[in-house]
Amino acid sequence: MEMKYFDLIKSGTTHDFVKYRRVAVVVSLIVNALVLLGVLVWPGLNYGVDFAGGTEMQIHFKKSVDPGEIRDLISHVGFGEPTVQRYGNEADNQFLIRVERIALLTPEKARQIEDSVRQTLQGLQSFRFDPEVGDKLDFFFKQPVDENALKATVEKLGSPVKEVRKLVAREGEAQEYTVITQGTGDKIGSALREKYGQDQVEVVRTDYVGPQVGKQLRIDGILAVVYAIGMILIYVGFRFDFRFSPGVVIALVHDAIITLGFFLVSRHEFNLTSVTVILTVVGYSVNDTIVIYDRIRENAKKHKGRALRDIVNLSINEMLGRTILTSGATALSLLGLLFYGVGTIWDFAAAMLVGIISGTYSTWYIASPMTIWLEEHADQRKAIAAAQPKAKKPEQPPRAAAAR
Amino acid sequence: MDRAWYWKAGLILAVTVLSIWALVPSWTYFRLPPDQRNDSTVFNGARPKWAPGKHLNLGLDLQGGIHLVMGVEVDRAVREKAVRRAEEIAAEMDRKGVKGVEVRGDPETGYVTVTATDVGKAKEVLAEFSDMYTRRSSGTTVELGMQDSAVKALKESAVEQAIKAIRNRVDQWGVSEPTIAKRGDTQILVQLPGYSNPEKAKELIGRTAQLQFKIVDDNDTSLTKLTDLPQGVTLNWDRYNGPGDAQVSSPYLESKDRRVLQEYLKGKAPAGRTFAIGLVEDRIKRENSYRSWMLDQKQGMSGEYITEANVAIDQSPGEGNRPYVQVNFNRTGAELFGKLTRENVKRRMAIVLDDTVDSAPVIQSEIPGGICSIHLGGLKPVNEIREEAKALVIVLKSGALPAPVRILEERSVGASLGPELIRRGSMAALVGLLAVLVFMAFYYRFSGVVADVALVLNGVVVLAIMAAINSTLTLPGIAGFVLTLGMAVDANVLINERIREELRAGKSIGPAIKNGYERVFWTIFDGHVTALVAGFVIRAYGSGPVRGFATTLIIGLLASMFTSIVVTRAIVEWFASHGRLHKAVSF
Repeated sequence: MEMKYFDLIKSGTTHDFVKYRRVAVVVSLIVNALVLLGVLVWPGLNYGVDFAGGTEMQIHFKKSVDPGEIRDLISHVGFGEPTVQRYGNEADNQFLIRVERIALLTPEKARQIEDSVRQTLQGLQSFRFDPEVGDKLDFFFKQPVDENALKATVEKLGSPVKEVRKLVAREGEAQEYTVITQGTGDKIGSALREKYGQDQVEVVRTDYVGPQVGKQLRIDGILAVVYAIGMILIYVGFRFDFRFSPGVVIALVHDAIITLGFFLVSRHEFNLTSVTVILTVVGYSVNDTIVIYDRIRENAKKHKGRALRDIVNLSINEMLGRTILTSGATALSLLGLLFYGVGTIWDFAAAMLVGIISGTYSTWYIASPMTIWLEEHADQRKAIAAAQPKAKKPEQPPRAAAAR
Repeated sequence: MDRAWYWKAGLILAVTVLSIWALVPSWTYFRLPPDQRNDSTVFNGARPKWAPGKHLNLGLDLQGGIHLVMGVEVDRAVREKAVRRAEEIAAEMDRKGVKGVEVRGDPETGYVTVTATDVGKAKEVLAEFSDMYTRRSSGTTVELGMQDSAVKALKESAVEQAIKAIRNRVDQWGVSEPTIAKRGDTQILVQLPGYSNPEKAKELIGRTAQLQFKIVDDNDTSLTKLTDLPQGVTLNWDRYNGPGDAQVSSPYLESKDRRVLQEYLKGKAPAGRTFAIGLVEDRIKRENSYRSWMLDQKQGMSGEYITEANVAIDQSPGEGNRPYVQVNFNRTGAELFGKLTRENVKRRMAIVLDDTVDSAPVIQSEIPGGICSIHLGGLKPVNEIREEAKALVIVLKSGALPAPVRILEERSVGASLGPELIRRGSMAALVGLLAVLVFMAFYYRFSGVVADVALVLNGVVVLAIMAAINSTLTLPGIAGFVLTLGMAVDANVLINERIREELRAGKSIGPAIKNGYERVFWTIFDGHVTALVAGFVIRAYGSGPVRGFATTLIIGLLASMFTSIVVTRAIVEWFASHGRLHKAVSF
């Protein structure tokens, strides 16, 4: 029989993966701790509007512009420190502009407007402004007032008005008017047009996420990750053994943190799509680990009496070809995204690549040796229990020791 | 070849043919120019008659459009309701002859304070207001709040109202396939694919809905003289018993396309008359059409005088507890409404919300006193009447308690971004796919090619399922798709490596294949199911782009299990049984 194939990894390799487990665990622990510190303490992730709230605009300039100049212009309009990032190639002249604020009004400004309205228009009963909302002013008058006069009064203080809305009220009741001031997107768009010329600026995309929704998306994102991990655990517990669950979890949490590390170190935006990457890496990592565990289980049955350490090593080595092939093929499928993707999509592919490498590493050096530890730990407990003088049973069956 | 193999082969063939069949309309759809493909008449004309009607949709990120999440300020509606309730309590006290009572509704807190010299008597009256509860009672003062159930109902109807107004306006613009849905308790999700005018979209919330009552002109017959009706527009007749019980026949035009009807009627109304459009819902066929109404410009009144609208039950004998709608007006409204109905007995009164006629009941007699009953539905079953009554109440309340709406999230993608992204997205997917296909064929030779066939079929099946369930393809969706490719490759690698191992152990080709597939089945199953579990969780808890990703991931994983386990095995077995494997074939 003529078999035409070649092996990437020669069958029968005997690399001792288990030997390096202590070094691996220490290194991983340090790296993970650093990432977590980075995320939680300093410098933190570069959160996109999805989570931080705010306005993000993708703007296409017809001519070459300097990002520093855009930054200055926008902060000059009154938006503090905007984030301005190039999008795609330099020749594209596209930029992502992000400001945290969603509206221009500050409580002080609102108070100024209130005073001015009280002086100009008769019969202002009460006034409401919610800084959380930011672009809406509510006026209650004793009698109907001229909407245009109200608009003019607000605009005189430098807050362009998008519209004045009269809410239905009946005679004798307070007349309520809502003034909506111009939003961030409009303001930035018009400022840029003024500077670079009307037809030189194209607003390709605008994302505005209010604080309420930002919070909701944040909660949804965290819940999705937590529930997904929980459900995977339960499934693995039932299909294999709950002894295997800790290894799977530690490996997948490790991979999720390393992927987070990509966003931390690269300073690329962390948004809803990034959550997708983390979830995908989690799924991939579990799949990778399960395949090896499957083999460990099979080999444990086949080679009864051999040390678990050897069985784990054997299993990893037997599956070496497969693990490298699969990781390689998945990485290959990301090639297109890396070549043709820009912005979020490129980030997706790059983070995924980091996750795949981390997933392979954690399966070999973290998850599989974990089973040995757990087993040793169980043995130790049994040994201690056996040595206890108070133990009512005079003798523990020597099974625990024999298993090794 | 055993019998089971033929069954499998038949199944694979059926899936392939079905998938291609399901993708035919999508092919037609994407061949149409982008500005025409969303027009259902153009699409249905271009689609082969034997093909299904559903096609793949592009998400907002790929075809441009607007995504809005709006929050309804329901708390305001609740507070305002409390103020109205205070007036009603005062009126009721007056009617019952309870003197020395002062009732005040606080628009800030939504509580009602009642101060009475005779608290005992006042409390008797208050007990009738079952939607209020006593928060505090001290001396001569009672403070009332709205019951939780009443607040909940009020909030719900405020959101319904806002949705109704939004749907009405979007309908008028002729946006194809808009999404308008309730999200959570107080939010409304609006998606307008292919629509790129954010300024206009803000009109959705810009003003509160305008409710009007107008008298219908049923005597004018100028419509019957029109001879150049556009295609799809038909002339129909309304018949009802008018003044003196003489039968009135009134002509109107009907069409499935609102814009065609609107354009055609422009400038055709006689002096002093105007045309308005109304929606005709066909609940059985689930097909809506639009009809014209001729309204008298001079006669009518605004709906802002409505204080309350409810569904009530007619308990008079012979009516069989039929639901009807009761509308209350304030004093000014009662006068205006009395006059309007007195002058137009036995004529029809159109209820118009934002230029769209909702319905037009016949005025049976003068309605004085500011309380009007609208009976619906003739011989329809009670359930259906109740639904209609609820819908009408929502419309009528728009005049009474408009709940302000504000934008919480807005994402707009310009139409120019779409095509560029589609090009890049499909290039990315193609390059990824090609790289994997070439790699597999190179590394595994024969079985690599078999795996490639399975991978391509996997792609076709995924797209077909997405088309069949009318799902949208988004950029994260494409990413999810690329990822399921990785899983499918893994499955094939696992199988092939296993078969190699079995061969190395000295098994002959037939048992090696059998063992390879059987041993690896559970491994692949576990890997796919864990990813599926994650996919379903993401779909349930994720939002926006994350959900699009999960949808393709789930479909892709299901398809991958089928193609990598069933399809490749059937192909390999065929070659094995025909004795060709050992010659030019490898694993």
